[in-house]
Amino acid sequence: MTLKPPPLTLALLLAALGVPAALLLGLLSGSSGWGWPSEEILWLIRLPRVLAAFGTGAALALAGALIQLVTRNPLGDPHVLGVTSGASVGALLMLMLAPTGMLLAPEIGAVIGALGAMSLVFALAWRSMGRGLAPSASPGTVIVLLVGVMIGAACSAGVSFMLAMANDLQLRNIVFWLLGDLNGAALWWPVWAAVGFALMLAWPRAQELDWIARGDAWAWTLGVPVAKRRRIALFAACLATGAAVATAGSIGFVGLVAPHIVRLTGLRHARMLLPFSALFGGVFLVLADTVARTVIAPAQLPVGVISASVGVPLFLMLLLRRRA
Amino acid sequence: MTSQTPGRPKFDAAPSGGGVSPKANTGGSSLSLRLEHVALHAGGKPDGRVLIGDLSLSMNPGERWVLLGPNGAGKSTLLVALAGLLQPNAGSILLQGKPLADWPGEALARQRAWCPQFWLDPFPVSAWETVACALFALQPEQSANEVETRARHWLAEFDVGHLADSDVRMLSGGERQRIALATACAQGAPLLLLDEPSSHLDWSHQALLQARLKTWAANGGTVLAAVHDLNLAWTLATHALLLDGKGGAVHGVREAVLTAEQLSAAYGVPVSLREENDARWFRVDLENSV
Repeated sequence: MTLKPPPLTLALLLAALGVPAALLLGLLSGSSGWGWPSEEILWLIRLPRVLAAFGTGAALALAGALIQLVTRNPLGDPHVLGVTSGASVGALLMLMLAPTGMLLAPEIGAVIGALGAMSLVFALAWRSMGRGLAPSASPGTVIVLLVGVMIGAACSAGVSFMLAMANDLQLRNIVFWLLGDLNGAALWWPVWAAVGFALMLAWPRAQELDWIARGDAWAWTLGVPVAKRRRIALFAACLATGAAVATAGSIGFVGLVAPHIVRLTGLRHARMLLPFSALFGGVFLVLADTVARTVIAPAQLPVGVISASVGVPLFLMLLLRRRA
Repeated sequence: MTSQTPGRPKFDAAPSGGGVSPKANTGGSSLSLRLEHVALHAGGKPDGRVLIGDLSLSMNPGERWVLLGPNGAGKSTLLVALAGLLQPNAGSILLQGKPLADWPGEALARQRAWCPQFWLDPFPVSAWETVACALFALQPEQSANEVETRARHWLAEFDVGHLADSDVRMLSGGERQRIALATACAQGAPLLLLDEPSSHLDWSHQALLQARLKTWAANGGTVLAAVHDLNLAWTLATHALLLDGKGGAVHGVREAVLTAEQLSAAYGVPVSLREENDARWFRVDLENSV
């Protein structure tokens, strides 16, 4: 099978048209129908929500791409590092225990929980992130993933415990938070800042991430400081994931699939994969959220429902078309 | 001392000139690799099985070494240690008189290329892009076009030029192996550390591999290749290092190492050989074994 050269010009054109188009579509459609909203709705509700959706999708997709590269695992996903579950525990604790009327309570809880889980994963897997270079040593990347999954499992147990202890009103809030919900995502800019910072950390050395994905020991023999690059990339991924989860709760699918869809279009080098995954993830989540809040208006669906029901067939189609 | 290194293989240049000027990449004269009382345990762990007890030798430009020994004898571990990925449990490995650990990663990458036994390709990538990795890493001043030309040149050298745009995950084992060999050569480091470079290769491509490695050494490079086929080892090598897997090692010119007695002892099966003029043919004497 011949690989097409990366369609860079086309991709840039699509991004230049697609991103504003998706943002505009998100701004123009609402529960009251299609059209230019009143100034109040635009500035206080639509714009923050659309920007939050874009940032969240971008953060998850970027984190997924980074984790897939440095763990050399196509199944890499932002949620495998345990950060999501840690954030959930923090957010749920605040939902249940914070005094009513406290501003941004679940968001603050999510940030603390995400940072806690991230610190734990880094403390436990610090050495493994640099290992796996000599073929005979146990593969470090597997240990990193397993540590993340274990932290995640422990946090999930905490989530289950809180579900069991919650009253009816709390349960509704908790379930919506866990499903991933952009309704009332008040602050849009922290996740944008996290995406920017993560890109700043990872993008300048993106090429080296490609070589690590080809073979970590081999990349080391080319002079790449593999342990350092891997730690920086995982740190950037954790930050982006934590910010995304704090903004919109746990949204699946985008982080795993956005990088693969971008790869299937031919943009397979990390230099292009990272920014374009972020753009694609952002656009995808804006569109999914637009559908989620209009399809059964005035009620709203959790955005995760739409992202999976649109994304799964889309991904399978792309995958099976290539294999045919 | 000249600015151009005699240790650099001369055929490491782009086809049709290509505008590539081979860079001086060593400070000293010719590249030599020295092992001084090196001990290696399995996995590099102090309590690991002893693979090599006490090995001292030196490899010099123009020499083609084969690394022989039974499965699990430590061939790959030794290559990994020589690549700098693993500290020996005792003794020191010196490149140009300087311990491997003291070499900065990028400078070391200009001196030795390591081609591992297994490749895992988790993501789609074309063959020429795989080869280009080594060039991008070491010659950042080259334009993308130059890099691509050189990558395609090296793929053609190993008869996989027609697969340059193919996804490496879709190729046969032998084709993948030849892409790996092209990658190692494209790196342009005089010392090649090859882990079973002849695996998956058919006869014609084993012959091609031999031809390429002989040219490499003739141009001042050094080759160390782990192989299992004794007949290939004989025709390929000028020198041989034979591990017995119990800590012992025999090394020297091929005539001294590849003897029926020493091979039988190392492999634990009766190896017989036939000599004709200067050539030797090896076979395992199945009737007398086990």
